[in-house]
Amino acid sequence: MTIKNSIEVKNLVKTYGDVYALKNVNLQIAQGEYFVLLGPSGGGKTTLLRSIGGFIRPDKGSVAINGKNVDNLPPDKRPTSMVFQGFALFPHMNVSQNIGYGLKIKSISKDIIDEKVNKMMNLVGLSGLSERMPNELSGGQQQRVQLARALILENDVLLLDEPLSALDAQLRKDMCIELKRLQKTVGITFVHVTHNQEEAMSVADRIAIIANGELLEQGTPREIYSNPKNKFTAEFIGEKNIFKGKVLDFNKKLINVDIIDDTIKIANLNYDIKTNQEIYLSIKSESIDIIKKNKIEKSISKNNETINGKVSEITFLGQFVRYLVVLNNGKEIQVRTNHEVKGLKLKDNVALCWNIEDFLLHQN
Amino acid sequence: MTLRDDFQPIWKLLLKWLWLSFVVFVLMAPVFYTMYISFNELGFGAKIYTFTFQWYINVFSDKQLLTALGWTMILAGITLPIVIPFGLLSAKFYKKSHNKVWIVFVLLSPLFVPADILGSALLVFFKNLNKIFTFLSDHTGLYFLETWFDLGIMTAVIGLIVYTLPYVFVVIMITMARYRPEQTEAARDLGATAWRAFWEIEFPQIRAGVFSACAFVVILTFNEYTRTSLLKGGFDTFTSVLISQMLNTGMSEESYAMASIVSLVAIIIVAVILISTSISKEKLEKQTRRINEPAIK
Repeated sequence: MTIKNSIEVKNLVKTYGDVYALKNVNLQIAQGEYFVLLGPSGGGKTTLLRSIGGFIRPDKGSVAINGKNVDNLPPDKRPTSMVFQGFALFPHMNVSQNIGYGLKIKSISKDIIDEKVNKMMNLVGLSGLSERMPNELSGGQQQRVQLARALILENDVLLLDEPLSALDAQLRKDMCIELKRLQKTVGITFVHVTHNQEEAMSVADRIAIIANGELLEQGTPREIYSNPKNKFTAEFIGEKNIFKGKVLDFNKKLINVDIIDDTIKIANLNYDIKTNQEIYLSIKSESIDIIKKNKIEKSISKNNETINGKVSEITFLGQFVRYLVVLNNGKEIQVRTNHEVKGLKLKDNVALCWNIEDFLLHQN
Repeated sequence: MTLRDDFQPIWKLLLKWLWLSFVVFVLMAPVFYTMYISFNELGFGAKIYTFTFQWYINVFSDKQLLTALGWTMILAGITLPIVIPFGLLSAKFYKKSHNKVWIVFVLLSPLFVPADILGSALLVFFKNLNKIFTFLSDHTGLYFLETWFDLGIMTAVIGLIVYTLPYVFVVIMITMARYRPEQTEAARDLGATAWRAFWEIEFPQIRAGVFSACAFVVILTFNEYTRTSLLKGGFDTFTSVLISQMLNTGMSEESYAMASIVSLVAIIIVAVILISTSISKEKLEKQTRRINEPAIK
């Protein structure tokens, strides 16, 4: 069975003067998918979203929605609705007027508008608030009004531009669950822009990483988190353990990498590399075990690699404990464990060990 | 805005209010004095004060003053629907533009040219334009062109537009600064045309600024003398009559009454606008605070 594309972006280019906001972006989003555009501020993700929505006319390339080219259609003629950053509610209209505004424009009768508004308010959890003005609502409620206002038009695609950025951390988590539930209920395609990786991971079916106007990579949240193909992606999703190195030698199974004063052995996962090639290595902080020097002999299994260092910082983070270890070459490495390592103190000599398959190699 | 912080002694607050009252008194004293005289049966300079409404009754029989008032109202009435959309579009353009400094410079430049210089420049300009249009009418047979730039209502209105546009631009621009353009985008996204998005979403939020600008134009039209006198041609405006009366015979008691009526109406208009603006400003600030602050569930 072939999955039908809801959105197809081809070779999209957008410049502002000399600055490239989008560099030849290609993207396909399946129907009914919750797709997240993740990246740092100024990376081009909002430009891409606004190009899909028709708020920006790209310099080159095309956008098709449901197989139909929409390049020359204004926002109101595209089968999309947009949820704006910072709510953009109409402050002089109450909740039901805000939600029903799009239907009023379509000259739908008042009875039908009222019925649909009530249904939508129930769906997004705003029952009983129809007469409230936007300034009488909390941030979460305002966001729900915006969602209802966009969803009531029953368009095929909902575009969400940093929809949760104005909410506090806890409310953001709750709204992520709400958004995911809502998307499952209405069954339409959601395209969500965010710079928050936790938010992206919690709602997305698929994620695209966008930075400097380029789409760097895309995949499921698990793929992006566990196996980032790009050094930038690894850094952006929160990985601090990134090392610059040089390939010393390699065979079909192993690669030896020089990281200045130390050599690291990693598994060769069919990387396309050459001897002496400069590369980057990354490893997740939770994939590293930290062992006090005197216990090292009995703890290390066959498939593990070790490296020596000294504990420079211990931070208790509630669910985790973070150790900062300085290696012989002066480079710092982060280790995250679920519990405190017994008897481990600052300045203790430790061995860090990991499975050779946990180190990932990035060529850029 | 409050005049008192939490740790300020009460006498300092009183002192601030006293100072503010003094400034208002100094500014408004001449207007109040005019009002005071307008109710004296014996007029300006009399030693005895006898209260009367007679001068107010006489105002409505002073044909010269009433005609001049009528012309002023006509000028304001024609200028308003031209200058307000100009100012509105300029403010919208300013908000979207990246070269804001240049727009402000160009639009406010008429304010920096002295009134008599700008007035005489316009006079010379219209006279020359008139020559061109007379030439055109002679050679094309379109005789209505000949009088197009004769001094009169049209030239006076153009002079007023040049004079009032910077004020209209500034007043509307200040109100528009609070408006968030995402709301227009949201309305367009929901299917509204550009006009409908403006009329139903943007305009209700900048209404106070537009009405303030209207009031400003009316007040400035009453106030304007130099440019209008040079460009008006054959008719008289309220201010030109008042000034000529003063220069020839001194101000009549009817003039005091008329001046009082105009001042009172202007003060009431400004007060109403200020009150309604501060109420809507407070509402809007409350809304903006809510949006910008991390929300509480």
